[in-house]
Amino acid sequence: MQHIDVKAILERTVSMTYGDLVTRPTGKAVRGGIEAALQETDGEQVAVIDFGTVRLLDYSCADEVVGKLLLEHGRARYFLLQGVTASHCEAIEPVLERHGLAAVARDREGRVRVLGHVPAGAREALSFLTVGSEEWHDPHLPEETAHEVLEFLRRQRGTAAAEPVPPPAAE
Amino acid sequence: MTRVVDVPSHFDDRSFEQFANACGNFTGDRLLFDAHATQWASPFGLVSLLAAGQWAAEHGPERPLLTAPSDRDVAHYWARAGFFTHAADWFELHGKVPRVAATHSSDVLLEITPVRGSDDVHTVVESIQERSAAILAELGLEATAAMGFAMALSEACQNIVEHAGTSGWVAVQTYHWRRRLGRRVVVIGVADAGVGFRRSLEATQADRFGDRWSDASALEAALFHGASRFRDPGRGQGLGGIARYVNRWSGKLAVRSGTARIAIVPQWDDDQPLTDGLATFPGSQVLMIVPAQEAK
Repeated sequence: MQHIDVKAILERTVSMTYGDLVTRPTGKAVRGGIEAALQETDGEQVAVIDFGTVRLLDYSCADEVVGKLLLEHGRARYFLLQGVTASHCEAIEPVLERHGLAAVARDREGRVRVLGHVPAGAREALSFLTVGSEEWHDPHLPEETAHEVLEFLRRQRGTAAAEPVPPPAAE
Repeated sequence: MTRVVDVPSHFDDRSFEQFANACGNFTGDRLLFDAHATQWASPFGLVSLLAAGQWAAEHGPERPLLTAPSDRDVAHYWARAGFFTHAADWFELHGKVPRVAATHSSDVLLEITPVRGSDDVHTVVESIQERSAAILAELGLEATAAMGFAMALSEACQNIVEHAGTSGWVAVQTYHWRRRLGRRVVVIGVADAGVGFRRSLEATQADRFGDRWSDASALEAALFHGASRFRDPGRGQGLGGIARYVNRWSGKLAVRSGTARIAIVPQWDDDQPLTDGLATFPGSQVLMIVPAQEAK
């Protein structure tokens, strides 16, 4: 995994005095810093974009840092948004929805959730995958829904399948 | 010729139309903004008065005149809020202008602050977050709400930077609305004397609306459809984000631009959601009111 500390990039690329990710120019500069860091490693590693020490993230900055980053690189790289707070999610979620994107985020307590544009069945399946084993339960997805979920995950690079998932066989 | 524009005795968003009507079309005469009888002004009133002064100075025959409130306490409050510091750039000041610096008082969460570029937005957000503990205590909000407040404020200020084509001002203050609401509120006023929503959005949106294109439809497009002057699909989320925030916390959002005004009206208020055909006023003026949460 490649760990990218967003606050450190903010300090390096914009200002040592700013503690918040606000405004588009700031977001654009930070995204540039993240993209430079991404070039240092191969595309197979998961890039962990760490918001753990970021206080505030507004919509404009979320669009520049997360939205445009995933639009540009989301097909070629795996990303995890790390250390996000509830207020970060409030900015990130509508940005992802607007672009038709989804991302996996882990909060500061280690809880994992999927943000953005995710069909209900896929959200349920992803929740099933991310809870601890002692909490596992059978999501009881109908076969057709399961197929839709797998196809969605394939499109989102959530699975390693390179080919479209075949539809369920007619009985 | 000098034409007198009376500043309302209680100058806030509700008396703003009286002020806009008095301003007329701003052109021709030198304007004298007469605030000598003004007893009270909200952040919205003060930043709007600065916007009027800027417009008159830039488009009128001469720098406009402004008579300061004759009430000593009112004039001192305006000075502490930073009004005269900024007003001196645009008005020829008359009357007794107190020589006191802008200072922080407990009910002023943000003194009148100019917004000229992204750096100013950072300053506003830093400043408001330093006082976020006060906001939380005042309004009984949870920490997420205080963050959301700073986000909404950031987007409102960026609206000036991105769309006005000129600078603007922001101010934030708390009040106890005993009669109107029976609760404390935070009131945010943001104003500029820029191009306004209709002109800002014209190039990308006017064709979609055809004959319906107006100040009102421009405000509708920006607030409810996330329209932006940029063709980038990620743009235009700021006002929508502010709207979500005020909806969630039973707040109010009103945006006035040109001859129209659009509002998200909470249950505790009786404002009109959309008003058209108002007196022309330059730029854009944004009002946000976030009330204290009722005890559960």
